[in-house]
Amino acid sequence: MKRILLAAVMPLLGLGAVPAQSLDDLNVQVHGYATQGFIYSTKNNWNTTNSSKGTAAWTEAVLNVTAQPDPKVRLAVQGRYFLLGTYGNQITLDFASADFKLNEHFGLRAGKVKSPLSLLNESQDIDPAQLWVLLPQSVYPIASRNTLLAHYGAVFYGKANLSESLGTIDYRAYGGQRFQGSDDGYLQGLRDRGDTLPNGVTGPMSGVSLRWRSPLQGLIVGATVDSEQGSGTIVTPHFTGKLVGTYRYRPFYFAQYEHKKLMLAGEYSRLALRANLTFPGIPLIATRADERLFYVMGSYKLATKLTGGLYYSSAIDHEVKPSSRKYQKDWALSTRYDFNPFLYAKVEEHFVDGTLIGYSSSNNPNGLKPNTLMTFLKVGVSF
Amino acid sequence: MKKLLLLLLLATCIPIFCMRASAQGVVFIANSSVKGSEYSKADVRDVFTGASSTLKSGSQVTPVVLKQGVVHEDFLTRFVGKSDSAFRANWRSIVFSGQGVMPRTVDSESAMVEYVAHTAGAVGYIGKPTLHEGIKTLAVR
Repeated sequence: MKRILLAAVMPLLGLGAVPAQSLDDLNVQVHGYATQGFIYSTKNNWNTTNSSKGTAAWTEAVLNVTAQPDPKVRLAVQGRYFLLGTYGNQITLDFASADFKLNEHFGLRAGKVKSPLSLLNESQDIDPAQLWVLLPQSVYPIASRNTLLAHYGAVFYGKANLSESLGTIDYRAYGGQRFQGSDDGYLQGLRDRGDTLPNGVTGPMSGVSLRWRSPLQGLIVGATVDSEQGSGTIVTPHFTGKLVGTYRYRPFYFAQYEHKKLMLAGEYSRLALRANLTFPGIPLIATRADERLFYVMGSYKLATKLTGGLYYSSAIDHEVKPSSRKYQKDWALSTRYDFNPFLYAKVEEHFVDGTLIGYSSSNNPNGLKPNTLMTFLKVGVSF
Repeated sequence: MKKLLLLLLLATCIPIFCMRASAQGVVFIANSSVKGSEYSKADVRDVFTGASSTLKSGSQVTPVVLKQGVVHEDFLTRFVGKSDSAFRANWRSIVFSGQGVMPRTVDSESAMVEYVAHTAGAVGYIGKPTLHEGIKTLAVR
């Protein structure tokens, strides 16, 4: 709570530092969007929803206030209401930051800031900007979105123009503290066993992300190295102990190409986790995961208001014994129709094989089936 | 007969002139505080897609866009390479990820000229060249 208050107050302090001006001079903008989803799955219940019976328990509403009192200074606050099954159902702070951009080569954003890791992390929650109802869950699992989306700290950013024939390099270096909430999707396995982390998992994090904007218009190639360490108090039905994660380094490699109506993208990441559970009087318990994650996607603008797309997402955990819990392969077919600049609708079908991501045994008491078809409908409005 | 030929010639030429008018229907204007007057398409695209806020002359600029219309569509097709919905989706990504502010949108070309003339660093586009105090025309190649 203290962190949220501090992050929210920082931009206001920045606002107070500029000379008194009219609202128009401060260039205050208010934007927002809201979405309502419907989910139906043929077999397994998805995340904490009752999707096998059809559910509309997927609602989001976002409000963004940004002020730019000076071309080099920007202050922004964004809040969100999020409900997915029993996840969320509360208002959270997406970010609250003060941004100072000295020039094209150097800028600094501080407060609670979006983490610039991977190709789509900073925009993974922005439904109006995406064709997809659901981004590839191998790299962008929705139940862990709040954890990966932002951190408390700073981002240094800028770009270097190589030459007209070599293009441009965008860089972001970031660091601070990441907070993983007690309801995060990565902790679902613990919750299924009856264990809880009432205060979540927190720890230091940092990373560097580079994007090469090639001379071929629309082609971006990039890589990120993200590192973090988290720890927290774990409560089991019989003991209270400590979960300590070792430092982990997570690489992302990605590319995107946009040309007129066509968009192609792909990304690979490896998530190797090591965590030790310590309880009084009990030998140390080590847990580990080694997930190899990737997706490829393509979309095409079929008409002025209609866009279609397809992606394949894959996740394999090399630490899990062969079973449907070891992997997940997901083919997704998506369409989006924009009624006007403010209102849109999406329909998406998923052909899912494997249950590594997004399915919990506690929400599927009759056992998880290896294959599921999932249908998503979503309506959104933005301003 | 001569009249008929003349009419035929006119009928042939009118579409050509119209195409030229359409193809040359985007004129970039900037506040007189903006340095330089010749820029590449890539410079313009970077500014209007939020990839850059500085022109190669070193001037820090803020883009201004038309709400809709033929000139706006022509501008998007020829200089941005995106449809209007993709253009706005790109800006939504920037705003909702905390990386920028939405460009100011104006309803008409006259409003564009007025705003650019009175706002330091403003860069916009209109359909026809105009003489107005406080603005300059940019050559974009």
